[in-house]
This record gives sequence, structure tokens and C-alpha cells, in this order.
Amino acid sequence: MEKIKKVGVRLAGMVRSSMQLRMGLIFFALVLLVVIFAPSLAPFDPYDLGDDLLVPPGTNGHWLGTTNMGQDVLSMIIYGSRASLAIGIVSALISGVIGTLLGAFAGFYGGKVDKVVSEIINIFLMIPTFFLILIIVALFGSSMINVMLVIGLTSWPSNARMMRVQAMSIKERTFVKSAISMGETKRQVLFKYIIPNGLFPIIANTTMGVAKAILTEASLSFLGLGDPNVISWGQMIYEGKQYLATGWWMSTFAGLFIMLIVMIFYMIGDGLNFALNPKMKKI
Amino acid sequence: MPDAVKAPVIKAVGVKRYYKQRGGSLLSFGRKPRMIQAVDGVDFELYEGEIFGVIGESGCGKSTLGRLLIRLEEPSEGDIYFRGESSKALMKKDPKKFHRMVQAVFQNPFDTFTPNDTIGEIMMRPLRLHGIGKSDEERRAMCEKALEDGGLKPAADFLGRFPHELSGGQLQRISILRSMLLEPLFLVADEPVSMLDVSVRAEIIHMLQDLCASRRTAIMLISHDIAVVRYVSQRVAVMYLGRIVEMGDTDTIIQNPMHPYTQALISNCSSIDPDEDKQAIEIQGEPPSPINPGPGCYFANRCFKACEKCFKSYPPMRTMKDGRVVSCHFATGDE
Ligand SMILES: Nc1ncnc2c1ncn2[C@@H]1O[C@H](COP(=O)(O)OP(=O)(O)O)[C@@H](O)[C@H]1O
Ligand code: SF4
Ligand SMILES: [Mg+2]
Repeated sequence: MEKIKKVGVRLAGMVRSSMQLRMGLIFFALVLLVVIFAPSLAPFDPYDLGDDLLVPPGTNGHWLGTTNMGQDVLSMIIYGSRASLAIGIVSALISGVIGTLLGAFAGFYGGKVDKVVSEIINIFLMIPTFFLILIIVALFGSSMINVMLVIGLTSWPSNARMMRVQAMSIKERTFVKSAISMGETKRQVLFKYIIPNGLFPIIANTTMGVAKAILTEASLSFLGLGDPNVISWGQMIYEGKQYLATGWWMSTFAGLFIMLIVMIFYMIGDGLNFALNPKMKKI
Repeated sequence: MPDAVKAPVIKAVGVKRYYKQRGGSLLSFGRKPRMIQAVDGVDFELYEGEIFGVIGESGCGKSTLGRLLIRLEEPSEGDIYFRGESSKALMKKDPKKFHRMVQAVFQNPFDTFTPNDTIGEIMMRPLRLHGIGKSDEERRAMCEKALEDGGLKPAADFLGRFPHELSGGQLQRISILRSMLLEPLFLVADEPVSMLDVSVRAEIIHMLQDLCASRRTAIMLISHDIAVVRYVSQRVAVMYLGRIVEMGDTDTIIQNPMHPYTQALISNCSSIDPDEDKQAIEIQGEPPSPINPGPGCYFANRCFKACEKCFKSYPPMRTMKDGRVVSCHFATGDE
């Protein structure tokens, strides 16, 4: 109970200290409402092929127009928020968990473990990740699960590098020495003392990671490597691309919403970083 | 030494700890890394219910010795025996049991506890780790009693608080109480009061003293403050550059120090100097680095008594008539 209260107090303090974080969270709450209540908010079934083909915004109750197949763009955008958010969050989580574990292992155990993990991190940071993603998706197919996995599995090194430094500094703290001298095993020290105390910067970075993952998914879709069976904003841009001249609304609105959601996650991530900065905390 | 007949709780034999020098320039590339001799061959014994003081300038290896005793680090050479059992073997056989026997109180109470846990969780954790108490309720009751006995009332209130809500003195008490919950054989307190407000230092030292007396725990009190050590410890060791230069009954050594380094330390400590008129002996120069201190007496370049011999060979440890040991060419034991 006390713990929940304490985390709450800390979060409240962070939210108060950063305007950006506050705005980001408010917008994120709005997006979440859209995601949850998509069926009641959408005026049409986004998969329904209507008779109005490629009509401009405002025609026959289609606020944002229709596609060449007659689907309602607004409804597609509302439903598409689910796919974009799911891909963003799941792949950022994968990347956060892998990065945290590997970074913490390397930083805490040091020595050979650290050498090997650092080498892997460097290799991943050197190779052009997007091309790697392209190749993997081209080889293994572009289902939503694959896209999530591939983005998660290629974006963890920045988290790992951060957590490694955290672990290296936290393991020198007195409370870690005191935990060891009390009889905690190395694994208990790692999971009970090192990781929980070093996690906040990784949370901030992972939030930014959501924005990056959403952009990566959009880029993949734009190149025709998204999941064709799922309505996502990236997929909408891809399909509307060839109708830019005759039906600009097909991809433009999806593009705007991608920009918006990316900005929201950057605001939260950047706001968290700001609130975590020890120099700022004292003020 | 009233307990001399008993077997020692701790016996350190030729304990050394070397570190590779950190950093080093590009020019030293390919050369063998130089070694820092943080602890350079230390022998001593510690008895039940005894407070053993360790004094010396900062950097002389006191904290390193403390870390070796609680096995946060392994000695490069030598071994430490607990009730006759090698700590190396104990750690291999049952590290948990070893850690229960040997506890530590650290210099910085503000950093001793993980900031995310309540005092209740922090204190109950070692009990749970070592399977003490049948249920969490029982463990909580044990912690409450320990806090009450330690003067932290109301205990239930303290159990719900977080470390950052308490003062340094309160945190250091909790650190001591938590260690004592495990009923250890031995406790290292590394500068336990140096970061605390002067007004609470005495309380903490009293607490250690009481626990030592009532539980018969052997305590090693590391400090650079001779006044503290003299006040509570029965025996004291003076360290210089990783070695013990003089060791014996605290009163004997403080009243009549024989090693020039001890003499200098004591004469520089105004509150102690028994002979008020005497001029403080100045220690000239910086302490030499613990990297290759040379063949002679490590203290030779700062010693006011140094002669030619001192630069040639390290003085052997000699036992004096009053039972103390001194390592100085001028302390022959004939006086
Ligand atoms: N982990 C380490 N790596 C390298 N050198 C160290 C390390 N720990 C201590 N030292 C060196 O060992 C010597 C003794 O340090 P320490 O035991 O902390 O002294 P004290 O506690 O008496 O001030 C110092 O010269 C210090 O620089
Ligand atoms: S051996 Fe020589 S240099 Fe060393 S303490 Fe004694 S007199 Fe001084
Ligand atoms: Mg020290």
C-alpha cells in the first residue's frame, strides 16, 4: 500500500515538473479512449465496402471521405489507431525487456559477459537496422506479429546500452554491497536491487521507442511490407499513395495522425527524461 | 587481554589485497599493469565480545580490509578464519551461512538501503532470506521489537516509512539493528559515524558498545578518529600503507605509543594527547602511494626518526613486554 502511494507521489511530482509530460499524457488518454471505444465512435464499419467510391471529405456522412474501395476513411483511422498503437507498444516493450535484461547482465556481471554483450550491442548499432528489418520481413512475411517482433528485436541496443551504464554505477552503491553482505545471491541482487533502481531512464527511452516503432511500421507499410489484412495508418498511406492526385484524403489524414501520435510519445518520453534529470528535480 | 585463553572468533593470516592500477596512459601500453597494494599482509585476531579498533590515514587500506572480512572481495593472498574455519572454504560450502555470521555497518547510512523499499521490507528481508521466523507477522513483530529496543518509537510508524524520510542517525541505527537481527558472530563497522551529525555520534557508538556487551559479538570498528576508537575499543591496530605497524591494548598504545607513526597520529589529535605541553610531531610530506612502496620501512620518507637502516629493510614485527606488537627498527623490546 505504502509503495503504491510512494510511486504515485513520485509520478505526480514528475507530472507536475514537466508541462510536456502533462500534455503528452492528456493526449495519450484521448487516444486510448479512441482505441477502446472505436466501435461506438466509428460512423461506419471500416471493412465495409460502400457504394461511395473515392468521394471527398464531407460527402454523405463520410467526414474524411472514402477510399477507392468505398471504405470510410474516418472509421479506418479510428480502427487503425488500434494496430498502430499495438505495434508501437508491443515492439517497444519487447525492446525494453531485452535491452534491460542484457544491459543489466553486462553491467552487473562485467568481465567476459560484458565484453560479449557490448560487442553484440556495437554490431547492432552499426548495421543499418531498417534494411535488416526490410530483409527479415521480406523473407518471413509481413504479418503484424512478425512486424512487432522484428522491430522489437532490432531496437533493443539503445536500451541495453543505457541499462548497462546504470547497472555499472548502481552496483557500486552501498545498498548493493549491503544486500550482498546480508546474503542475497547475485541473481536476487540483479532483479531486486539493480534493475528496479535503474529502470526509469529506460522507461523514458522505451516511450520514445513507441514513437519510433510506429514510424518504422509506417515506413514498412509505405514500402508495401505491412500486414495487408490489418487496417493500420501506415497501410492506409500505402494504399492511398497512388490516388494522391485524385483522392488526397486517402493517405493525408492517416499521415497526420501518425505525426500526432509520434509527437505524443515523444512528449511523454522527453517529459519523463526532463522530470528524471536530477538537476531539475531539486528545483 | 582477558580473553586470550579463548579461541579467537577471527584470525587473519597474511591477508593481502592487490588492485590493478586503474587507467594508465597509452604510453604504458604493453607494460605490465602496476599493482596497488591496498592491504599488504595483515595478521590479527579478534575475540568474542571485543571491540577492535583500526585506525590510520585515509587511503591506508582500512575499508579494503573491512570488505575482505565480509567477503565482498576475496583476498589476493592469505585467508581469514572464522572460529577456525577458512572463510574461503565456508564461502564455497554455504555462502548464506557465512553471510549470516558476518555482518557490516557502512559509512553512508543514506545509501545503505534501497530507496524503493519501506523500512519494514528492508528489515524483514534478511530474516526472510535466512528463514528466521515462521511467518511475515512473526518477522514483523521481531523487527518492531528491535526498533523499540533500539529507541525508534513508535516502531510501527517507522516500519511504514521510506529511507529518505529518516535522518542519518535513525538510518544508521536501523542498519545496526538489522545486522543484529541475524545474531552475527562478527560485525564490521566502517567509519559508522563519520557522516553523521556530531550530536548523534555518541548514541550510535553507545549502541554498538551495548550490543557488543550484551550479545558478545566481536566488532571491528574502523575509524580515522582516534578519539572514538580510544573511547570504545579494548584493542587497536594502527595501519600504514596496507600494513599494521602497531597493535595492542588501546590504553597502552595511546598512553605510550612506540611506533613513530602512532606517536605522530596521537600527538596530532588534540583531544587525546596526554602531555598537553608536548609539541605536535609533524608528519612531513604526502603519504607515498601504495604502488611499489620500496624495500625499506614504508614510513621512512616521513619519519622523524628514520636512519639509514630504515631505507634498506622493512622492520620486522616484534612483540613487546606489554604484549603489543610494533614494527619499527627502534622498537626492539629491550626498553
Ligand atoms: N576497487 C579498487 N580499485 C583500485 N584501487 C582501489 C580500490 N579500492 C581501493 N583502492 C585503493 O586502495 C587503497 C586503500 O583504500 P581504502 O581501503 O579505501 O582506504 P581507507 O578506507 O583506509 O581510506 C587506496 O590507495 C585506494 O585508492
Ligand atoms: S623503521 Fe625507521 S622509518 Fe620506519 S618507523 Fe621505525 S624509525 Fe621510522
Ligand atoms: Mg575508508
